[in-house]
Amino acid sequence: MRNEDRERAIVEITGRLVHSKMESSKQGGTPIIEVINDTIYHEQQRLRSDRKSPTYEEDKVFWRQVQRTLPRASEREIKQLLHQTVDHFIREIAGNFNPYVYQASVKLVPVGLGFLLNAVSPVRLLSQLPKLPSIQDHVMLSGKVEALRKLDRKGTIVFVPTHSSNMDSPVIGWSIFAMGLPPATYGAGLNLFTNPLLSFFMHNLGAYRVDRRKTAPLYKEILKEYATVSMEYGYNNLFFPGGTRSRSNALERKLKKGLMGTGLRAFINNLRANKPNPRIYFVPCTINYQLVLEAETLIDDFLKEAGKSRYIIEKDESSDIRKIYNFASSLATMDSQIRLVVGQALDPFGNIVDEDGESYDRRGRRIEIERYVMRNGDPVEDPQRDHEYTNELSESIAKEFIRDNMIMVTHLVAKAAFSLLRQKNPDMDLFRLLHTGGDIELLTQQELFQEVETLQMQLRDMEQRDELKLEPMLHEHNAEKLVQRALRLFKSYHTSAALQRRGDRYISEDMRLLYFYQNRLDGYALDSSSQARAA
Amino acid sequence: MSEKVAVIGGGSWGCALAHVIASNGYPVVLYVRRPEQAEEIRTKHTNQRYLKDYPLSHNIHPTTNLEDAAPCQTIVMVVPSKAFRETSRKMGDFLKPDQILLSATKGIEPGTHLRMSDVIKEETACLKVGAISGPNLALEVMAGHPTATIVASRYNEVVAAGMQILNSTTFRAYGSQDIVGVELAGALKNVMALAAGIITGIGYGANTRSFLISRGLSELIRMGNHYSVDPMTLSGLAGVGDLIVTCNSEQSRNFQVGKRLGQGETLSDILGSMQQVAEGIRTTQSAYELAKDFREPFPIIEIMYKIIYQGMNIEEAKLHLLGRPMHYEHEPSRVIPQREKKPLPPASGQ
Repeated sequence: MRNEDRERAIVEITGRLVHSKMESSKQGGTPIIEVINDTIYHEQQRLRSDRKSPTYEEDKVFWRQVQRTLPRASEREIKQLLHQTVDHFIREIAGNFNPYVYQASVKLVPVGLGFLLNAVSPVRLLSQLPKLPSIQDHVMLSGKVEALRKLDRKGTIVFVPTHSSNMDSPVIGWSIFAMGLPPATYGAGLNLFTNPLLSFFMHNLGAYRVDRRKTAPLYKEILKEYATVSMEYGYNNLFFPGGTRSRSNALERKLKKGLMGTGLRAFINNLRANKPNPRIYFVPCTINYQLVLEAETLIDDFLKEAGKSRYIIEKDESSDIRKIYNFASSLATMDSQIRLVVGQALDPFGNIVDEDGESYDRRGRRIEIERYVMRNGDPVEDPQRDHEYTNELSESIAKEFIRDNMIMVTHLVAKAAFSLLRQKNPDMDLFRLLHTGGDIELLTQQELFQEVETLQMQLRDMEQRDELKLEPMLHEHNAEKLVQRALRLFKSYHTSAALQRRGDRYISEDMRLLYFYQNRLDGYALDSSSQARAA
Repeated sequence: MSEKVAVIGGGSWGCALAHVIASNGYPVVLYVRRPEQAEEIRTKHTNQRYLKDYPLSHNIHPTTNLEDAAPCQTIVMVVPSKAFRETSRKMGDFLKPDQILLSATKGIEPGTHLRMSDVIKEETACLKVGAISGPNLALEVMAGHPTATIVASRYNEVVAAGMQILNSTTFRAYGSQDIVGVELAGALKNVMALAAGIITGIGYGANTRSFLISRGLSELIRMGNHYSVDPMTLSGLAGVGDLIVTCNSEQSRNFQVGKRLGQGETLSDILGSMQQVAEGIRTTQSAYELAKDFREPFPIIEIMYKIIYQGMNIEEAKLHLLGRPMHYEHEPSRVIPQREKKPLPPASGQ
């Protein structure tokens, strides 16, 4: 946020939260003293295991102070304490701001992949990575870019991309710049702020700090309020609706509704305040990589937790400088690509929005969306209703993800090999297959090519029906070329290849990776060649 | 004066619902298709064709113009499932996003497998949708016999609005958030009603019918699992409640169709002689498509599909159903192998 807005926002957010807590307490909700106590409890729990936090000492003193004052505090002092507590959090979230840096950093955005990689790895600086490829050559933008540019002038945009890598934020950050749009406000993990240089850029590119270790409900409410207020002030926002990187590499189906609901709240608040451009537009984007930087760690985490994400991965490929270097050189030498598709804009109720910012129902009739939130002629909040509206939105976003998912050569070839291996080992459950690689682990060239071709045909048909997207290569090359290409990619970066050639056969060196890449096609109804023959 | 409520559809259940709502003091705009019917309701306050001589509330205002019904804040849709999409689409031209739409139609659309409330969402801008379902035979409701119904929606506001207009001392309305469960049960029970009718037509008694109802319920539950339906919904009014009435009452149209099938009439003869729609016929197709997708055993649904759409005769169907492998009641995959039955030894001649 710009400097003048930032101070205003802090006052606004603190005021709103204190007000809503006081009101709810008056109406028989949680008493203020319990809200504070609960926050102290969560914070002290955190501090016990979070000694490395840069604000450890400061926080310890602060919470001890609050704890000491609370039992003897008068009504007025309790309100004061709540105020201080909110202020304590919000100042950390909003960070410090230097307008000169803002100017400078905006100009610095397109410095290239070096910056991008620095962004994922706070470890080293640009100069230490020689021969870095430029980001422009690797990130390919497609989809409804023109519509998005127009829409940006009609209201506030909320970007909601898929999330599969720590590279996503810089990729989308760069893309937003390249499309000529103003930087988007987004909550970035605290770990990205620990490097002073990076922190400097992050703040000034519109990022606010999110400390995932802070579990107090009050803290989460403040984060949501921050997003809400920034939208009301007209700042475009960005958040990953999956909440965290997809561990399995499958598209996000269940989306986090907490942050998404802030768009609707901002819309209602804008209506109440009679703002000239009250509407909020959600723009789903998909980001697909031929190779994912953290693939190995992510899939490991997925399998370990059998689907339950741990949420915070302490160390992964994005903090390993050698890995990043390998990844970057693989991008460069392989001319590997990252594809960002800008999707169909949606309103906070999940309806489609045209480039003029008008909402339409599925029969193409214009909708006066203000009426969704009206009661007796006034716009009102209704948490239960609004929660359901946000459910509608999240279902629509998930559908757009499926349609805009761009299938890469690595996904296709992995899918082909993986489904063949599953067929060859019919009695083995998934986890054993991944663990052992199967009793029959070799694929012949003929069967692999045939499977790739069968899938490729179906995928092309599906693209025709607008059910998904394909990277152009899947149109240009035949199965043989595609397999060659995927194999070279697999070999170029990962420690062991997801699939490689052995003599005249094909074998997976790392089944988990093969599984990871094929998961991008999870949920699409695809028949394998044996089924296609049977049918 | 209370605000107006619209009821779309002048069949037996549409008229009965309009009557319930109007008797609660809400003026009802009732959309019917045929002008003669509108005229009869307007002047004589009856609907001979569907509701015999039962007098309808004077608070019902019939119209044959959909647009007249559209401005009402709350709208109840009671058209046959076959006409549901088209009617919703026409309504969609007039509707605003703050309106509340309740579906009292029981069915699942073949092909898309959408529930009726989903069809409304596809065809209009309205999101605040709900469903009404329960053991509600129109004639008994008209006679004032006490019964109950469920108003289900994910939106509390919709549940409250529905309960408000429907609840009375003879028609008790309960609320539910599980709209998927309520609509699914409401649709699938019609398939079971066809089957129960067949059993009755053959001449079997209460044991057999109860056997069918229970196994039918287990198919409902199995289907519900795929949609994360709350099993409590299926054991409630919209599930077991509706299943019992529709599988037992001569007034149920689906039961009637089944019964005549069981007595040996052909389906085309039966349907040709009926004035009203038996939803179970269409739902059997949707249910069968779903059953195939889920790759689990749904023997009653499958056999009903074969009877209705593939002309399987009743004798053969019976053998199929009763000759299935033995398994645990709630674990169809836990099969007990059947031993070869040895022929009895010849009676020793003493």
